[in-house]
Amino acid sequence: MLDLLHNMERDLGGRPDELNEAERIDAAATRRAVGRVLRALALVVALLFVFSSEQLVTWVNGFEVGPVQDRVVAASAAWNVLMADTGLTVPAEAVRAEVNELRGMSWPEVRARLENEKARGREGARLLRGALFEEQG
Amino acid sequence: MLFPTIEFGIFFLVVFAAGWAARGTPEIRKLFLLGASYFFYGWWDWRFLALLFVSTLINYLAGLALARSARPGLRKFIVGVAVVAGLSILGFFKYYGFFLTSLSVLLETAGLTRDLPFMQVILPVGISFFTFQGISYVVDVYRGHVPAERSLPNVMLYISFFPQLVAGPIVRAADFLPQLHRPANLTRAHVGVGVVLILSGLLKKMVVANYLATELVDPVFFDPAAVGALDLLVGVYGYAIQIYCDFSGYSDIAIGVAALLGYRFLENFDQPYRASSLQDFWRRWHISLSTWLRDYLYVPLGGNRHGEAKTYRNLFLTMFLGGIWHGAAWTFVFWGAFHGTMLAVERYARRQIEFFAPAETAPGGIMSALGNAAQHLVGIVWTFHLVCFAWIFFRADSFATAGSYLAGFARWGEASQYVTPFMAGLIVIAMFFQFTPRHLGRWLARGVQHLPSPVLGLLLGGCIWLIWAIAPEGVAPFIYFQF
Repeated sequence: MLDLLHNMERDLGGRPDELNEAERIDAAATRRAVGRVLRALALVVALLFVFSSEQLVTWVNGFEVGPVQDRVVAASAAWNVLMADTGLTVPAEAVRAEVNELRGMSWPEVRARLENEKARGREGARLLRGALFEEQG
Repeated sequence: MLFPTIEFGIFFLVVFAAGWAARGTPEIRKLFLLGASYFFYGWWDWRFLALLFVSTLINYLAGLALARSARPGLRKFIVGVAVVAGLSILGFFKYYGFFLTSLSVLLETAGLTRDLPFMQVILPVGISFFTFQGISYVVDVYRGHVPAERSLPNVMLYISFFPQLVAGPIVRAADFLPQLHRPANLTRAHVGVGVVLILSGLLKKMVVANYLATELVDPVFFDPAAVGALDLLVGVYGYAIQIYCDFSGYSDIAIGVAALLGYRFLENFDQPYRASSLQDFWRRWHISLSTWLRDYLYVPLGGNRHGEAKTYRNLFLTMFLGGIWHGAAWTFVFWGAFHGTMLAVERYARRQIEFFAPAETAPGGIMSALGNAAQHLVGIVWTFHLVCFAWIFFRADSFATAGSYLAGFARWGEASQYVTPFMAGLIVIAMFFQFTPRHLGRWLARGVQHLPSPVLGLLLGGCIWLIWAIAPEGVAPFIYFQF
């Protein structure tokens, strides 16, 4: 245990002067990388606050009952309503609806959709050919 | 505190910011990371913090004792005591109930009834992982692979470091302890690797594993007698993908989080379902466990150094004990014994083929190349199905369920209830990624590492948002937490 204290004293005391050039470069690169990640993480938090406000509500609803918790729950619900009113929850809802449609799809529906796509492709090709013939004619 | 939760997100933000703020004082940084790791573990059940500490202390003291003793007999004794102590703790918490239940059944079968001292023993999360790391440390010190660590906090941090504490990867002392003696650095490579691994882990766990578990695997394994053969077949394929995505997803996040804190863990999975033999599979699946079993069990048992018969015995014993490590149930014992037997059979078959039809040394023509490719393809399909067969026993809660599952493969006339296009699509996409170039992750990380912070933030935030939007509600615990 004493060696820990010894190391700590050495680190706290004389370390900066002992840094060699390579360590100084590493330290500077690390500082830059940490700053870069922290800025990125701040942006991540902001994005999720705005576009995933319903996740926040789900999370805080799991808190135990108490005066502080109640305020947090009320604030997050109000925040979610605000985001929904401004339309910022729409992208997540659209993605979820699309995924739910995919989940609910049966094999005959997949076949029908594939045939529709094929027919649309054929129609597109026919129209394209028509346009080309008109141009040539 | 599960990785894909807001709680862990907040915890990580604090640890990342405060941990790097303390970079100038490495000992304080290590103490902070140690405190954070114990907090992370205590979040599940603070009562087991003492167990974690005692287990670590035994290994630390054994390491110091090994450093001070030169007599081979005494050194053997010290390492033996430490290993037995670690395994006794593991054995009590993990196998006490299993042992007594099995003994009770055995006595009843023999017509004897006894009052056995049954107790409700709670399994501490991650005990198998931190016990194995402790053994790894003592044995490595004994073998001289790593010097005995004089600092108790260093050993404590090695065993309890939160990214790997509850479900691995099993980190070796020789890999991790030297990193604690250097100043921690965060490079662009760390950031690239960390971000890519965290995102891939979240996608695997939250989307693929969770959907497969809730909409296919759980219902099929709940009552195999109620579904047809197609559901059962795709159900076990689904489980193969689920357990891979669940466990490798956890490992990816663990390795990614450690990278962002400036530490390097070794790879734990390497596209295991592209393996063309069981031996190859075990080089790609849960690499930290399979190499642990190889170095601390198979090799000390004699490995392949004492003739063919003993090699087969050692292969079988290693996998058999690997099966028991996974869980206290006869289905896990069967799973391990099956892998051990098949590894021995595979080795025997390979040797016979080499003897009767030795491989050509001269480069062959196009027919030879085609033959090799076909052989490789057959090997992949065969290995995948062997592994899937064993997964049935791994996932089933009893032999009765596993038997019912296997019997159901005769019911090909019944219509499928659970094989939807969505489930089939998930399995196909996940299998596709088993065959993509091996360094795809590295290429992606190289792309990410040079992004400026706003773009990095948008990418990370956008991907997490998308994963949240796609994933089913709620977070299921990771499968390997129970081990």
